[in-house]
Amino acid sequence: MRQAVAALFGAGFTVAACYAAGTLVIDRLGAVLRRDERIPLAFVLGAACLHLVIFTILVLHLAYWPVLVGALAVIIGLSLRRKAQHSKPAPVLSWPLRVVFGLCAGAFSILYLVNAWAPEVSPDGGGYHLGLVARELRNHGFEKITTNMYAMLSQGVEMLYVPAFAIGRHSAAALVHFAFVIALALAILAYGRRIGKPWAGAAGALLTFASPVVGASGSAAYVDVATAAIVFAVFYWTEIWDEQKEMSMLIPVGLLAGYAYAAKYTAFTIGIYALLFVAWRSKRLRPVLLVAGCALVMAGPWMARNWIWYQNPLAPFGNWLFRNPYIHIIFEQGYSASLRSYGMPSLGPLPLELMMRGGATYGIIGPVFLLLPAALMALRYQAGRRLLLAGALVFSTYFANIGTRFLIPCLPFFSLAIGLAFSESVPLLGAMMVFHAVASWPPVMNRYVNLNCWRLVRFPYKAALRITPPEKFLMENSYGYAGARLIEEHVPKGEPVLTMTGVAESYTTHEVLVSFQSASNQTLADTVNMGWDDQLQPRLQRVFRFEARPVMRMRVLQTAQAEDPEQWNVHELRFFHQGKELARNPTWRLRAWPNPWEVQFAFDNSLATRWRSQEVAFPGMYLDADFGSEQMVDEVRLLTSTDFDRIRLRVESLNSSSAWEKVAENPKVEAASVPSAIRLMAVYEMRERGIRNLLVYDSNYGADDFAKDPEAWGLKLVARGEDTRLYRTIW
Amino acid sequence: MRRLVIAIVAVLAETGCQNMPEPYAAPAQRPAVENFHPYRMQAIVSMSDDDAETHFVQDITPLATSSWRWTGKKPTVRVKARTGEDLRYTIDFVLPEEHFRKTGPVNIAFLVNDRVLDRALYSSAGSQHFEKRIPPDWVSVDQDITVAAEIDKVSADLGMVLVRIGITQ
Repeated sequence: MRQAVAALFGAGFTVAACYAAGTLVIDRLGAVLRRDERIPLAFVLGAACLHLVIFTILVLHLAYWPVLVGALAVIIGLSLRRKAQHSKPAPVLSWPLRVVFGLCAGAFSILYLVNAWAPEVSPDGGGYHLGLVARELRNHGFEKITTNMYAMLSQGVEMLYVPAFAIGRHSAAALVHFAFVIALALAILAYGRRIGKPWAGAAGALLTFASPVVGASGSAAYVDVATAAIVFAVFYWTEIWDEQKEMSMLIPVGLLAGYAYAAKYTAFTIGIYALLFVAWRSKRLRPVLLVAGCALVMAGPWMARNWIWYQNPLAPFGNWLFRNPYIHIIFEQGYSASLRSYGMPSLGPLPLELMMRGGATYGIIGPVFLLLPAALMALRYQAGRRLLLAGALVFSTYFANIGTRFLIPCLPFFSLAIGLAFSESVPLLGAMMVFHAVASWPPVMNRYVNLNCWRLVRFPYKAALRITPPEKFLMENSYGYAGARLIEEHVPKGEPVLTMTGVAESYTTHEVLVSFQSASNQTLADTVNMGWDDQLQPRLQRVFRFEARPVMRMRVLQTAQAEDPEQWNVHELRFFHQGKELARNPTWRLRAWPNPWEVQFAFDNSLATRWRSQEVAFPGMYLDADFGSEQMVDEVRLLTSTDFDRIRLRVESLNSSSAWEKVAENPKVEAASVPSAIRLMAVYEMRERGIRNLLVYDSNYGADDFAKDPEAWGLKLVARGEDTRLYRTIW
Repeated sequence: MRRLVIAIVAVLAETGCQNMPEPYAAPAQRPAVENFHPYRMQAIVSMSDDDAETHFVQDITPLATSSWRWTGKKPTVRVKARTGEDLRYTIDFVLPEEHFRKTGPVNIAFLVNDRVLDRALYSSAGSQHFEKRIPPDWVSVDQDITVAAEIDKVSADLGMVLVRIGITQ
């Protein structure tokens, strides 16, 4: 029960600080708001400001419990001390509207509250969102994490989870997100009243609020609904500015536009809307610059952090432009492609998938959104045109990731537009709201969605109140929790763990290196998998023989264009004279293009490591060795895997006029034998990088090979979970 | 506008290219395949191992904590060795004070594949360690090896408190 109270307190304290910060800024700007819009807008604006405060605390490595609590308390104290500002009263809502909206929204509020309050079981919430927050709290600040691409994303909303988590752990963070769900609904409702269409506002609010994917995400420590609230707040403040024409109203517009980027990269488009809108309505440059400058205040710190730490302001994306050793380009391309399709052969069934099935894209927005085309009828209103334009801009990034929850930021706009389209028919709107609420209610939804659809399936009030022990609830409902606990209980303190599949990182204090989450993890996973996967093993030798010649620098050039996903791989590149290998020495200088950072893997004498181009093979790729002095060479050998065949290779040497000249091509291809010790060599590489622990899920490829004979790998089984095995190197 | 975009992309590309590292030196060389022995072999069954029971053959009781188990007269485990070179019989056990008062001094025989490797007399209670080289022809590589300790006196069917037993290299 103490945990339950701590969670409520942690969330409540953080939310109160957000609201307090927001009211301070709003009053300072002299913004005159109605009471019903002041609450949600102050909360969201305050969240933006508080996020910067927490960011600063983490940069300074001052993230200790008293500092965090003190910072929040000071903000709340300042807000309580200020002179109370008058807000305009809001027009009264009709009783039918209050009844329909209140009953529907009330029921969903309780459902969401209980789910948010229960121990965190969501995959990403319990995984990286709170995993990173927990890690920042353990370190009392930011650290450069090169082994987890999610650490490179901006964490605008997660900054609010830091104090909440410090006080009330996981559930407190989820409850903060739940507060954004409420704020978003209130803001949409208030907007309807602002434009004189309260029923449209109520319909818009409920269509968004009761949308199943909003409930699933908003009840977990995700950031999607918070992003939607921020995005909608940007739009709202542009409307306020347009009405009041006060320059100071553009400050919240800019701050929130930048915060939208800080919350989720794909929300940057609302910044474009804000800039275009302000430019159009003001016809002056200064207001536009003010918005851009304020946006930079919020987004700039994240870009700067990424540029300084990861050599890429857009990390973990944009790696073809900002090349770096942390994310492989071919991975980014493959990952992005997978997010554009989610394994769907064509996007034809996507509308039905998003609205009623939800198995492939993880969640539905609800069948009522089949009415979306009718939203175009809202174009007859000025508000409708603006809503649809903003919604379309926010929607424009959706096809970069077609997961259902990536629609959440544009739902408020489209929901309101649907409400406006039918605003002349109150009974129709009321019926639509009731239909949506019924269709989105979990037991009803279970009748028509795909089994894999991400949705709320429980009403875990006993878990929320901690009557059900959290450990039991988590074991039964969180996929990655058991793996995390296995690590926590059996891995010596401070040691990292390599795993092919992620675990609920926020429930372990160990660094978990998930195979795909960074360049170094992928390289290591490639090495480990080489132990059992003969496709990856060095089974071919490509031999160039030519007349002996003195050379100082030689390279192997790749001249063909391959097709995705074929890349060029080299386990070892060796140079010979009269059958004797040139001994490698530290004075050699090695270069590669692309992926220069991993060139040493082709020269380390290990059969279990390889240099990979990490891009689809294209003409001009090379591996280059500068011997430092003239050496006689008459043979070059490349030891390679068999997983590419379109590669064409040529050996070149640098002549006296610093030009590359062809020495040999069309290498003779010979089979190479792979020793059984390859498994041991693979684990040796893991051990050399300071990693002694390996978590393997039974469903992972190669799991049987590890299980059958761990000692052949130099591993010892340390612990066995229900579907996992934890191994540790013997030495 | 087009020029501006080109200029911006050029600046960014230039900045990106500056990320290219200096050439690398040849790295430290890994041992050649024929000399690749990264660790000494160890086939030890610790009572704290999650999979310890899979090695038990006889006389190791469920009376246990997370780190030790009571044994009967002849606790025996089964392990495998990947080499016959330089193998050593290894055991850590405890003769508890109260139990020892009932049995008095005990003789323990240490066995590998049912052949007695050595015997020792223990005339006081407490933690004990025994280790001795195993003749190479006593074991076959990659075949099951039984490793046992036989105590001459038991009390209430209990012999010793076993912590770990097996083979090291």
